Amino acid sequence: MRPLYLTFHVYLAFVRKSFQKRMQYRVANLAGLATNFFFLLVHIFVYTAFYAASTEPQPLNLNEIITYFVLCQVSFMLMPFWGARSEVTQAIKDGSVALQLTKPVDFHTYWFADEYGRACYFLFMRGLPTFLISILFFDVTFPQHPTVLMAFALSMTLAIFMSTAITITIFSSAFWTLDTSGVSGMSGSVIMLFSGMLVPIALWPEWLAHIAEWLPFAGLIDVPFSIYLGKITGVGVWTAISKQMMWTLVFIGLGRFLLNRGFSRIVIQGG
Amino acid sequence: MTERFFAEKSYRQLLKNMIEVENLSKTFKVYHHRKGFFGSFVNLFSRKHRIVQAVDNVSFSIKRGEVVGYLGPNGAGKSTTIKMLTGILVPTSGRVSVNGYIPHRQRKENAKHIGVVFGQRSHLWFDLPVQESFELLQRIYRIPQTQYDQNVEMFDALLDIGAFFQTPVRQLSLGQRMRADLAAALLHNPEVLFLDEPTIGLDVVAKARIRQFIQQINAERQVTVVLTTHDLDDVEKLCKRVILIDKARLCFDGELAALRRLLSTERILSVDYAETYSDISIPKAHVTYREGNRVQYRFAPEEVSTADLIGAILQKFKIVDISVQEPDIEELIKTVYEDNTALEQKFTETDTLDLTNRNT
Repeated sequence: MRPLYLTFHVYLAFVRKSFQKRMQYRVANLAGLATNFFFLLVHIFVYTAFYAASTEPQPLNLNEIITYFVLCQVSFMLMPFWGARSEVTQAIKDGSVALQLTKPVDFHTYWFADEYGRACYFLFMRGLPTFLISILFFDVTFPQHPTVLMAFALSMTLAIFMSTAITITIFSSAFWTLDTSGVSGMSGSVIMLFSGMLVPIALWPEWLAHIAEWLPFAGLIDVPFSIYLGKITGVGVWTAISKQMMWTLVFIGLGRFLLNRGFSRIVIQGG
Repeated sequence: MTERFFAEKSYRQLLKNMIEVENLSKTFKVYHHRKGFFGSFVNLFSRKHRIVQAVDNVSFSIKRGEVVGYLGPNGAGKSTTIKMLTGILVPTSGRVSVNGYIPHRQRKENAKHIGVVFGQRSHLWFDLPVQESFELLQRIYRIPQTQYDQNVEMFDALLDIGAFFQTPVRQLSLGQRMRADLAAALLHNPEVLFLDEPTIGLDVVAKARIRQFIQQINAERQVTVVLTTHDLDDVEKLCKRVILIDKARLCFDGELAALRRLLSTERILSVDYAETYSDISIPKAHVTYREGNRVQYRFAPEEVSTADLIGAILQKFKIVDISVQEPDIEELIKTVYEDNTALEQKFTETDTLDLTNRNT
């Protein structure tokens, strides 16, 4: 058996190269940044209007709402609904994924590393600039305590892992459907709603919030940002984080299972 | 652990046959699609399928260091065989072993010892410079730094990859990409190289370069090469032995020269005469083409020897140039594809040749 750290070393190289290959598309990234701000402004205007019209006290004040949506845009590109455009689904569709089987790598880990590299790229090259520019123009709040910031960092890291694991699971569906845009689109809408990306779960009616609690997707957006805003505290933080961990493992397991099934039923076009 | 490694290594070196294929078959289920709008609805609920035999009871073996052309028309089952040898597809029945490994059961182990190039698709990372792709491969195959450096230096000398080492793969020309892919497939010193149409779409110079490279790698490193191609120049330049497959079945396995001998009944003699003659007929040879002073004759070698024929011409005429052409192997192979039975009959007549089931 080869030592674990050596294996890790290989896949870390994949993460780095994945990051690096996206560095080539600078203009596309700038255009994307503009899109992020467009959506951010829409959200902020809508909620500012809502809050101006309402006199009742809300679970989140306007500053917190603005901060929440700034963070949403920061992690927008890290969400698992960008999978359909990826090289991997393309490779499954045109059969060239078979070629990759001639390399001695573990596919789930390889794709996971590649997607994780993508997420890191968008976190630093898109998310961070979005956040820094937003600080200049909007009233963004910061965590009051360093421990909150640490808990947020942990929860955010897990959110990225979970998003990556979900992405690979969506990829694997391409073995059956040959095109993930359907699965991707459908799961995209579910994820967007139940992660709290459109409306923070704190503002939801109780019965719907209850459903969200039993689904994994809040762990992508609502959980880390609620920790950031100090809405989840104490033991709640640990419960939330362990739930994120559990769901991440579930999706890794599911992804691995589907991928193995997919490869074993592979029929390559041509002959 | 190292002891075991060496023991295993030497055990594999002892294997005489690098590749062994025994009664290999592969069937695919192909779904029948109903036509039209209504039909596509019906397809959603009930699907009919038929079984397609892609490879049918094929057996052969390839020795260490051999270069073998694996030929056949489109859809004959070439790629399917290659995919089973590389561990991509699982055989329906039969036995495959490559370097002592069973490819579909030991995919990752097998993958460490083989190099694969599919001419139509690149193995390199589309968005990364060639060098970065190579470095990733170094990691994947755990290639020691000295070996990596030596190989890169050698491939640069032979294929001039240094000229585009920093260029992203998507910006490479087809010829450059092919060279990069070939080098990438050999970075980890594989013992077998599978080449699926390595010269497809390339110009003459690029083809020559790639052939020369394959020859050199085979000679210096004893790499076993299995070459699938439609370019018969490739076969002629590289392969002593060819395996022909048609309609999923093996139909010839033997030396290229034997195939040629077996099928070539006629040769062509081209002559450039010094003067214009009105009667250019020669006994036992037919004029097939005439333009100005250039004339082509067709003759059967068993009827008249080439030397006699040239002697007869020299006696009667003054000539500028003369040459004898063997028929194109493309023509030969076409005959095989078109008429299997003719070949089988010839097989039974000539016992000097190894037959289809030579290894069973």
